[in-house]
Amino acid sequence: MKASSLLIIAFVIVSCSSRSDIEFQQYYNQGEVLYAKNCSNCHQKDGKGLALLYPPLDKSDFVDNNFEQVLCIMRKGKSTPTIVNGKTFEQPMKGISSLTDLDIAEIATYIYNTWDRQRGIVSVNEVTEKMEKCN
Amino acid sequence: MRSLFLVALTLIVFSSCKPKETTLPIFGEREFNGTDTTYHTIAPFAFLDQDSTLITNATFKDKIYVADFFFTSCRTICPIMKTQMKRVYDATAKDPDVLILSHTIDPLYDDVPRLHNYARMLDVSSDRWHFVTGVQDSIYKIAQTSYFATAREEKAEPDGFIHSGAFLLIDKHQRIRGKYDGTREADVDRLLKDIEKLRNEGE
Repeated sequence: MKASSLLIIAFVIVSCSSRSDIEFQQYYNQGEVLYAKNCSNCHQKDGKGLALLYPPLDKSDFVDNNFEQVLCIMRKGKSTPTIVNGKTFEQPMKGISSLTDLDIAEIATYIYNTWDRQRGIVSVNEVTEKMEKCN
Repeated sequence: MRSLFLVALTLIVFSSCKPKETTLPIFGEREFNGTDTTYHTIAPFAFLDQDSTLITNATFKDKIYVADFFFTSCRTICPIMKTQMKRVYDATAKDPDVLILSHTIDPLYDDVPRLHNYARMLDVSSDRWHFVTGVQDSIYKIAQTSYFATAREEKAEPDGFIHSGAFLLIDKHQRIRGKYDGTREADVDRLLKDIEKLRNEGE
């Protein structure tokens, strides 16, 4: 009796964690595809950016400290200068208005779990909620 | 008899393994006047660069240069091209006879101050990399008739223009010696090798 209930609990835990692992993996993989399509031309595949034209996403204090703003910038762009690691980037970024909340969630999951970041999944619900507060 | 055949065979094999002709091709039509051959060359041009310096064919006298066409607000292939051209810039830092010429195809927007700012943000020197602007039609014309590159306005395109991502290698006699896809790293590797070949080419 005791053994079987333990077994059931263990089974539930395993299947729960694997389900969220699978969801994370789906977000991450799709995020990588969307990143390559929408972001990497400028920010580069390796996230290192280009001189003072395109800021890095890898090793970027701006990306680390401005999660909510990063979500907004993907869709709405940014016309004011951005200071990243002490350097000023003046080139405006046009937003990509065609990105859906899910696209943004997947890209954010990719960006925030690559280059030494381990934020975990950024869910579509979280993004929808945050996007309503964009300026 | 048999050994002679083997020797002959060996010779054939070895001679066919010799490196192929290493000189680069010369692009475009050519005219033959008696013993002289006239090759396709870059037509006369006059544009302003990021420092408001007048850039003409004379700027590239006795220089090898790499030319391309872009615009600063382009988000599609230009950033990749500029990443790759920056590689060319860095790789030729110690070659005083190698220059770069980037033409904007959106000269109404890309004026001198904007190009100046762009070059500054890319962290490159106007001694070696000229970003030029000028009369739109002149730029389109030289793109198509001199450099065999596509460049024109196209409202249906995401950023409003259609242009090729080509890098053109021009020799000291203003002749096109190579054409490369500036969006592909491997093709730009080939360009870097060809620049060296061209630098070692006798007059």
